Amino acid sequence: MATDYLERGAVAGVAGGLVYGLFVATVGNAFTAGLETFEHGHGHGGGPVVSELTTTVASVGGGVLWGVLFGVAAFGMAYFFLEPALPGTGATKRLALAGAGFLTASGAPWLVLPPQPPGVEQALGTDTRLAWYAGMMVLGALVAALAALAARRTADRHAAVRLAATAAPLALLAVPVALAPANPVHGDVPASLVAAYRWTVVFGQLLLWATIAGVHAWLGDAETRVSEDLDYPATAD
Amino acid sequence: MQDDTDTARATDSVYDRIDRARASLTGPQIAIAVALVAALGFTLLFVQDPMLHDSLHNFRHSAGITCH
Repeated sequence: MATDYLERGAVAGVAGGLVYGLFVATVGNAFTAGLETFEHGHGHGGGPVVSELTTTVASVGGGVLWGVLFGVAAFGMAYFFLEPALPGTGATKRLALAGAGFLTASGAPWLVLPPQPPGVEQALGTDTRLAWYAGMMVLGALVAALAALAARRTADRHAAVRLAATAAPLALLAVPVALAPANPVHGDVPASLVAAYRWTVVFGQLLLWATIAGVHAWLGDAETRVSEDLDYPATAD
Repeated sequence: MQDDTDTARATDSVYDRIDRARASLTGPQIAIAVALVAALGFTLLFVQDPMLHDSLHNFRHSAGITCH
């Protein structure tokens, strides 16, 4: 039963990963390579130790595995436990979990630590940033849980009331954004290009989560198969 | 009997799911699943070995993961 969920989560993850790998192959690799032309003295020193081709191929593979990771963790494991608590039915449940996953893994942390293009140095140390990132992941998950709870509580209200109640917990995210330490960056990438890069990254992650959710919904529920399993021992008895 | 299962399914909760997982999964199965997720996450995000780290450079920037 639970392994059935794991299987469908993994399949959805592979599908999402392949689409995201295509995104890295077509947009990510070229965009990153282009932004690198603004780079002066990369933080790691001494330049990359692998060829450009290796980076290109490995990064596409990394994109595929990124989808597998989200598919297995969110839709293979978390969905099994959270399915009864997620608002709505069918595809809505999947989209709710995908939204929660995006908010937890990327959305909330990026409010404090937005994605940075290559060649941009950040003032905050790596350890400080890791701590803030982890903290924002926890808060993102909490906000997503509160939003799901609000959506369920207002299930029989007017759609507008329900939408407002569901979105209200997002306001909590403004608190750490206001309290976060300043993280001045310096680099030669033009501000408009940084903005374009950031939004490309955001839409890339949204595409990944949406694809996993869509494929998972398309794979259907385990309910029918579960009841079939239950029927067998009943007739055997 | 059938009615009982239907009622149980109608009041399905997160706690029921935890019980179902306890009843149907073995320790090693859970360990393998958790290890897979941890290994993937660790490889993609935290391995600092220059060979692997540089290979995944474009991926990290595409996914918004920044180390520097």
